Amino acid sequence: MARYVIVMDTRRCIGCHSCTVACKVHNELPTDMVYNPVVQDGPHGIYPNLHSRFLPLICMHCNNSPCVDACPTGASVQREDGIVYVEDKKCVGCLSCVMACPYGARYHNHETGAVNKCNFCMDRVDQGMVPHCVATCHQKARIFGDLDDENSEVYKLIKENQYIQLLPELNTEPAVYYLI
Amino acid sequence: MSEKHQTWGWMLAVDFFFAGMGGAMLVIAGLADLFIGPETTSLLGNIVGPLCMCVGCGFLILELGRPMQAWRVFMNPKAILTFGAWMMTFAIISGLVYASFGIPAELIFWRDWSGLRHLLVIVNIVTGLVVATYPGVLLARHKGRPFWTGPGLMGLFLLSSLVTGFAAHFLCGLVLSPAAATVQSHLPVLLAVLLAAQALLWIGYLWIKRTGTTAVEAASAQRWISGDLSGAFKITFMVLGTVAPLIMALIPVVVFQGIAAVLALVGGVAMRMLTVRSGADRTFLPGEQKYRSRLPQGHEKFLKKIWL
Repeated sequence: MARYVIVMDTRRCIGCHSCTVACKVHNELPTDMVYNPVVQDGPHGIYPNLHSRFLPLICMHCNNSPCVDACPTGASVQREDGIVYVEDKKCVGCLSCVMACPYGARYHNHETGAVNKCNFCMDRVDQGMVPHCVATCHQKARIFGDLDDENSEVYKLIKENQYIQLLPELNTEPAVYYLI
Repeated sequence: MSEKHQTWGWMLAVDFFFAGMGGAMLVIAGLADLFIGPETTSLLGNIVGPLCMCVGCGFLILELGRPMQAWRVFMNPKAILTFGAWMMTFAIISGLVYASFGIPAELIFWRDWSGLRHLLVIVNIVTGLVVATYPGVLLARHKGRPFWTGPGLMGLFLLSSLVTGFAAHFLCGLVLSPAAATVQSHLPVLLAVLLAAQALLWIGYLWIKRTGTTAVEAASAQRWISGDLSGAFKITFMVLGTVAPLIMALIPVVVFQGIAAVLALVGGVAMRMLTVRSGADRTFLPGEQKYRSRLPQGHEKFLKKIWL
């Protein structure tokens, strides 16, 4: 079975927000909802030795996902390939998952009353395509693939490069890796 | 963005208050029945307990984004919210049936079924304890909410529920006296003891959060000590809701003891409001807070009109 992950190459990301826009446009997100914020970490250091990097944030599709455990209706589901999504018709908008998510990756849609989140564009993934944010990244800073496939690009990148995961101390086992 | 950080609102805090108070009222009535004897607590208190939980359920439903689909919260047995919802349902049913034993015998035929009453007492104590405690467990399991995380809140919520339960039983006893006054006369002293424990434990909790944990937990506790929540914490909760009722409950005058009980209830509401509000303090990722602070606020209608 596949285990889908995204590798974010922070050495390549220039903070252009193309992924943010592509996600909003293709998923037709409400104005106040951003699945793909690109935040700036830094600048750190003392002039002239300054360092800054862009961190594209997204749902981490955690292997040990607190949002799925917290959902009282069973609307938050994790597929066998690791993708976490919300079954809209089952969601009652209790915000349990919003509060449980340590990454702030879930949003209450005030128009529908339900909670929405990034689902790795799973309809596209099921058709063999990559998520919109990955397809639009002209810097190739986002790489999507199957971590269980030893021939995949993500497997090689993670194996050969130094990476970090966000909030590892929470033991959520995120599926997003940041190359540094 | 109308809400920069989406968190639970005041209605959930009110739900926690009513559910906790109702659950504790069942526990108190159950323990009194079990160890002292039947009808030692006010019939009104026995009825108000489960009804309070019903009111709590009402606020919980109103808090939902889709209130008409509230029944779905019973569907995932792995979720603690589902567990709490089931426990509250059992407690309400069991509590109301138990309360019916205080109704005159000519109106109900099961009044003399002592076996059923004892069974309900046990169910009330177990489910009441769970309902009184589970909000603390629910909040404490949030890894990304530094003020909540850890086992401390579980004890604090149970304690506060017992405080409000004792206070509510005492007030109900003033309105409709129980058949035997044994328990009623001791409630103010028990309330005072619990209030003293509450004051000590909250000071300890904040001190530990402030000094013995991570930087984000310390920052979240600082809001209570000298930040934007400090006024409500110190004045409404500690002074009005804990210390003042503690002193007044020890004065052997019914009026003072009644006021003490009302103030203890105010403290219970304030504590839950403050605790739920502290949930806004998530552990932010590097640069995230700055990003979110720059998102549009209050311009949604304008944006939709022009661009969509």
